[in-house]
Amino acid sequence: MRDNASSLNSSNRRDFLRGSGVAAATAVLTQTAQVGMDEASAEALAAQDVAVQSGSMKITLQVNGQSMTSEVEPRSTLLDVLRHRLDVTGPKRVCDRSSCGACTILINGQSVYSCTTLAVAAQGKEIRTLESFDTGPKSVAHAFHQNDGLMCGYCTPGFVTACQALLEKNPNPTLEEVKKGLDGNICRCGTYVGVIQAALDAAKAIKV
Amino acid sequence: MKAFEYVGAKSVDQAVKALTSGSAAMAGGTDLINRMKDYVTSPDRVVYLNDVKELAGISGDSGTGLTILSGTRLSDLLANDSIKKSYPALWQTASEVGTPQIRNMATIGGNLMQHPRCWYYRSGFGLIPKSSDGKHMLREGDNRYASIFMTDGDALYAHPSSLAIPLIALGAKATLIGPDGERTMDVAELYKVPTSNTESPFASRPGEILKSVSVPAAAGKNGSFEARHKQAHDWPLVMASASLTFSGDTVSDARVVVYGVAPLPWRSKAAEEAIKGKSVTLDSARAAGSAAAEGAKPLSMNGYKVAMLKTVITRTLCVTVGNRYWEV
Ligand SMILES: Cc1cc2nc3c(=O)[nH]c(=O)nc-3n(C[C@H](O)[C@H](O)[C@H](O)COP(=O)(O)OP(=O)(O)OC[C@H]3O[C@@H](n4cnc5c(N)ncnc54)[C@H](O)[C@@H]3O)c2cc1C
Ligand code: FES
Ligand code: FES
Repeated sequence: MRDNASSLNSSNRRDFLRGSGVAAATAVLTQTAQVGMDEASAEALAAQDVAVQSGSMKITLQVNGQSMTSEVEPRSTLLDVLRHRLDVTGPKRVCDRSSCGACTILINGQSVYSCTTLAVAAQGKEIRTLESFDTGPKSVAHAFHQNDGLMCGYCTPGFVTACQALLEKNPNPTLEEVKKGLDGNICRCGTYVGVIQAALDAAKAIKV
Repeated sequence: MKAFEYVGAKSVDQAVKALTSGSAAMAGGTDLINRMKDYVTSPDRVVYLNDVKELAGISGDSGTGLTILSGTRLSDLLANDSIKKSYPALWQTASEVGTPQIRNMATIGGNLMQHPRCWYYRSGFGLIPKSSDGKHMLREGDNRYASIFMTDGDALYAHPSSLAIPLIALGAKATLIGPDGERTMDVAELYKVPTSNTESPFASRPGEILKSVSVPAAAGKNGSFEARHKQAHDWPLVMASASLTFSGDTVSDARVVVYGVAPLPWRSKAAEEAIKGKSVTLDSARAAGSAAAEGAKPLSMNGYKVAMLKTVITRTLCVTVGNRYWEV
């Protein structure tokens, strides 16, 4: 899978960097003798302790309160790393283009599309997926069950997460606010009526 | 997507130094990552801006004018009371961008610098998509979402940023920062019309990033109205923003900017002239809408936008003075 990039760029330095880890990369950058525009910038960056990362690298993510370490590339999306590397399979991959909501997770309390987030950029942030949510009688999940808020279920994790995010920000949403708040998710089976009622019911249940 | 080097910038200085040729800046990633997945844009290096603290936040107020740093997310812009109260044109538009998740991810800088949505462009044929026999794909093909002004030229796509519209109506300035320091220009001047596929649609120079947008002190009234297919998950078909100042009841000055009708945010001088010296009534707003549509040259499939433009201008002017006549 790696490195169709190197064929487009003849510089050995770049190729070497792609294959090496961050520490090695920085060392190489500071030692570079010939200085082209790129090299100059790389040196300036290295002098400021800015890592130029490439190839395969190890990152640690905070997922559902746990530290999880994985081997990734800069281009790995957070969704793919969660699902394929860390076995956190709640978020689903449907459009992979920030257009459906199935991959919704929370980063620092905000709902986002994990298919359009780079895993490297999520380091140091608090990641929450629906695996960590309450499933008891006062939960969003329970309200979905009670309201028949799913059919095939493929959009459901994304909807539950979007709903959780909405209620954490706005514990008393009106019908209009629920519609607007869940606008970022699409259900092919057309379960919207149940989903919207579930959000309203969950808001009530969580309060008592 | 193609493999790339990643630089997580921690300061503007680092970001500017890292943005060498072949690099792309990334903020929320909602436009860039999708283009990279489709191999429309394949940078050698991605410089991530969203961890740069000095690029996020809003300062000032409606009395002095606001400075919105480029890394400010749309959800933070929407949480700003001063914007909600004094710049409803901007607030309303931001509230309708994409979806809640998009608004949590997207930044104002990325929004202004997003690339056009033209499906020929997004399929890899460039902003001026021509087939090997020289035919213009958008002129000859499916142009239902394309422009209705400037269509004698070759850039037929519609400009994509809906936030540019209220910002230009409000007279906002953009500050760019790059290897040669800072420069400030009108938001409208950020954009150019390319005449070939190797030309950029932006005025920014290599290595420059957008640092901030400054909105002048609020004066008069402003408002926006959009027409769209779907309430979410989509860009507007046609939208407009107006900023009006008054002497008594009559409009003394007007700025009217339209989305979805040209490869640039379209300043409708015709609508501005038509409403100046009048009070905003349904009739005067309609007259401005008709004036705005004069000179439009739609393509084969987007004649509907001419009618839509008239209605959008009428409603934008009315909503600016608090008249939502179509809701009764
Ligand atoms: C489903 C959906 C619906 C949408 N609906 C709308 C809509 O209604 N209206 C609308 O306007 N948009 C809409 N969008 C587009 C969305 O608003 C943009 O993708 C988003 O604002 C881009 O911001 P970002 O921070 O994610 O930018 P990125 O994707 O990170 O960057 C976008 C571009 O800007 C450049 N860039 C980013 N930051 C800077 C900077 N500081 N200086 C210079 N260049 C920079 C990047 O290099 C890149 O080329 C929609 C998107 C989706 C997916
Ligand atoms: S898979 Fe991420 S929005 Fe569809
Ligand atoms: S339940 Fe099938 S897509 Fe929503």
